[in-house]
Amino acid sequence: MVKCEFTGLAAWVVQRAGAAYMLCFAIFALAAITVHPRPSYAEWKAWVSSDAMSAGIGLFLLALLTHMWVGLRDVLLDYAKPEGVQRASLLLIGMALLSVGVWALQILVHARA
Amino acid sequence: MTSRARPVFLNLLGIRLPVGALTSIGHRVSGVLLSVSIPFWVYLWGLSMRDEQGFRRANELMAHVVLRVVLVLFIWALAHHVLAGIRHLLSDVNVGSTLRSARKSAYAANLGGVAVALLAAWLLW
Amino acid sequence: MKLSISRYNPELDSKPYMQDYEIALVPGDHMLLDVMLRLKQQDSTLSFRKSCREGVCGSDAMSINGRNGLACITPVRNLRGTVVLRPLPSFPIIRDLVVDMTNFFAQYHSIKPWLENPEPPPEKERLQSPAERDRLNGAYECILCGCCSSQCPSYWWNPAKFVGPAGLLQAYRFIVDSRDKVTDDRLKNLRGPYRLFRCRTIMNCAEVCPKGLEPSHAIEKIRSRMLNVEPSGGLDTHTPPPGRP
Repeated sequence: MVKCEFTGLAAWVVQRAGAAYMLCFAIFALAAITVHPRPSYAEWKAWVSSDAMSAGIGLFLLALLTHMWVGLRDVLLDYAKPEGVQRASLLLIGMALLSVGVWALQILVHARA
Repeated sequence: MTSRARPVFLNLLGIRLPVGALTSIGHRVSGVLLSVSIPFWVYLWGLSMRDEQGFRRANELMAHVVLRVVLVLFIWALAHHVLAGIRHLLSDVNVGSTLRSARKSAYAANLGGVAVALLAAWLLW
Repeated sequence: MKLSISRYNPELDSKPYMQDYEIALVPGDHMLLDVMLRLKQQDSTLSFRKSCREGVCGSDAMSINGRNGLACITPVRNLRGTVVLRPLPSFPIIRDLVVDMTNFFAQYHSIKPWLENPEPPPEKERLQSPAERDRLNGAYECILCGCCSSQCPSYWWNPAKFVGPAGLLQAYRFIVDSRDKVTDDRLKNLRGPYRLFRCRTIMNCAEVCPKGLEPSHAIEKIRSRMLNVEPSGGLDTHTPPPGRP
């Protein structure tokens, strides 16, 4: 299982690092699209599927999914008390996040094809 | 010695929540709401990337009133989550870790989120 | 003054209930504890812990108008309306305002609150410079009253697994003590998902500490230490909140 049990410290670091990266990338992307809008499909697609943006978005997805995993896991560790319920919920959320990750990656790969 | 389990006082309505606690609850609730909305944004993004039609359809969807309201709420959740998150990141490097400064930054995060949401609402109308 | 106090007698009551009191204030009633002691003359069955009456033993910690504090240093003039007194949140209630502190102390003991130094003891005491001693400021003053941990939501949800602000503040106290040599073990002890990392930096602990301490800040510094980043500076203390309830 890719998203296995992190220790407290490792999870915290991943969440913080991911947050910092996402913040920087989001500010950059927002600034870029404000300064240079891409109102047509062709321009939009070209920008997103460019090498630099693809790499940035790919990393953003990784950061987002791991950040979400740590956060949602924290919620479950706090409130989901019966062990069975907690484990099942963690498994479900892990699978949901993986699916979203694969889906988003597919969109990116397909656009660059 | 009674064998019955002892009761506890945990009526949240009877416990005061300082401003930092509100920021924290907001951070968690906004996080969950943002998570739940991710599949929709991925769908919208996929739509806009697929082809010319998909791109137009995505723009049409976002012009719809209901989705604009959803977008404003999403922006509120995002703004609060990010501002509270920045507050945490700064605290990690010992900026604003003391009670006095933490209270101020908590107010800033709470009000900032609302301000961004109002700005977004105004811009989208 | 009107008060509404949580009552519970395990031999008579199935669950706690609120009882109203009314008492005329006299010139000697400076602190809430003064009023409560005179209240006990009205109703001798009212139970609560108290001892030093000057804010150093921590016995009379309770929820005062929704905010934890020590009754003996909560000024009467700051209390508005009906004063609602309840036991510390989430701690098992033994009787009235008396709570079971067993789990609280178990968490404290779990961080090994004593110096460990395998080096052979010197002729006299283990020396410590004034600067090294200053690093304990903001942590050693804790009176283990329980106000912080019982106001911490993370501690409410996981009292058996999360050490809580009081225990973690003492963990910090021993981690930064130059005479202690088992820092790595102490840090390893706190690395899992529950021991320290349930902390969300909500900061309720710092808000209610009657000694003006800031466990949340100490916890951040422990995290820095875990990442091998020496946290600069010591812990702040603040003038304890003037009992705004």
